[in-house]
Amino acid sequence: MSGKEFFVTRYEKLGWKYEDVEPKQAIRINAINARKTDVIRRLQLSGVELEKISFLENGYWVRKSGFSVGATSEYLLGLYSIQETAAQIPAMLFTKLNDKVVLDACAAPGGKTVQLADLMRNTGAIAALDVRRPRLIALSNHLERCRVKNTIVYQLDARQASRLKTRFDRVLLDVPCSGNFVTDKDWFKKRTIKDVEKNAKLQRQILTEAAKVLKDDGEIIYATCSLEPEENELNVDWAIRTLNLQVEEISCYGGKALTSIFRKQLDDSIRHCRSIWPGLTQGIFFCKLKKSG
Amino acid sequence: MIEDFISRFETRIRLNRNLIVRKQNRYFLLNEKLRRSISKEFFCAGTYLGKTKRGKFFPSFNLLRMIADKKANKTIVDKKTEWLFSCGRDIFKQGIIRVMGSKRKGDYTLVLNQHGECLGFGKITRHIDKAKDGAVIKNVSDIGDFLRREKQ
Repeated sequence: MSGKEFFVTRYEKLGWKYEDVEPKQAIRINAINARKTDVIRRLQLSGVELEKISFLENGYWVRKSGFSVGATSEYLLGLYSIQETAAQIPAMLFTKLNDKVVLDACAAPGGKTVQLADLMRNTGAIAALDVRRPRLIALSNHLERCRVKNTIVYQLDARQASRLKTRFDRVLLDVPCSGNFVTDKDWFKKRTIKDVEKNAKLQRQILTEAAKVLKDDGEIIYATCSLEPEENELNVDWAIRTLNLQVEEISCYGGKALTSIFRKQLDDSIRHCRSIWPGLTQGIFFCKLKKSG
Repeated sequence: MIEDFISRFETRIRLNRNLIVRKQNRYFLLNEKLRRSISKEFFCAGTYLGKTKRGKFFPSFNLLRMIADKKANKTIVDKKTEWLFSCGRDIFKQGIIRVMGSKRKGDYTLVLNQHGECLGFGKITRHIDKAKDGAVIKNVSDIGDFLRREKQ
């Protein structure tokens, strides 16, 4: 069970007709380091045309640039980050981040960690975890460039987060996933349903650990860039039934997630999850979870 | 060692030693909240200050920014020089807009753009007032290093 035809047929059953897409490059201004108007003006003077992304607070599409926006003084000074449009949404869904203790469980390369620090205005504390050392080096460079001061990085598997002996107010689970064809042109050649199931299992283990380290009134944001329901709606349905978590309503860009997958009826609250098929952005799925009762 | 380095810009910063942690050869400045919650297996934490290698201190860009917030040796450069310096080049006299603090040969100076943002630092190779043209500040460290690290 693999190949383009297999997956495209699955997507059609889920209500989306496959199309080739090429989302526009996006940047996110680090509001703690610079005023938005100043960054926009400076980039415009260098010949970069930006377009405000209506559903993001600090996000802009790069309409035109004669050079890489990853090689400007403003970028090197940490005034903005290059961050995919849809990837900018999950961190924005937390409520009241200032002074909170936050876990970024699968943090590298750090785009969302920097965004969290920006939203927290460098207050509180973030524990950022990742397993592989080269990815931690990229993460630490990213934090230094963007002047992040409130983060401790650990080389630790998200499934062992309880080793930190901390309970967290907020947990970001941008979990390892199967990805999608937008970010990897060979995706259809490489992926099989077995990979999807393997990733779904890993994600459940991470969700289980996150529920353990979450404070009773805490929030989890669960996000994947997978288009496969096993890693998305079906995993959240499992978390509701197994981990005593509930899905919270969120107000943001994106379509409502499905509550019926391949004739299987899921918990009705899954409609509060958001699912974005590739098009304007890459594909993404996300939701906010809290402990029940 | 960190304070000795800072003093080379003819300024001082009082760093709370209780909030500085060392991980092998790297130094980090924490806040109280991080200090309370940190466990010793951390990879990096808080504000990275720099590292030592063979007895020499290599500052982070965070530390250079902290020094730049003080009254210290600073050289402000024009837009073209800003980019050349960030690409690892030395600074020519013609690209300098203003010098604050030392202009003497052998001294360290922070290099700032016209917005007052720190691009790195260099060592003055010829007295800036006495030199008529040519390179006067040798590039020691610049923010283009972030790109060079990505390529490694």
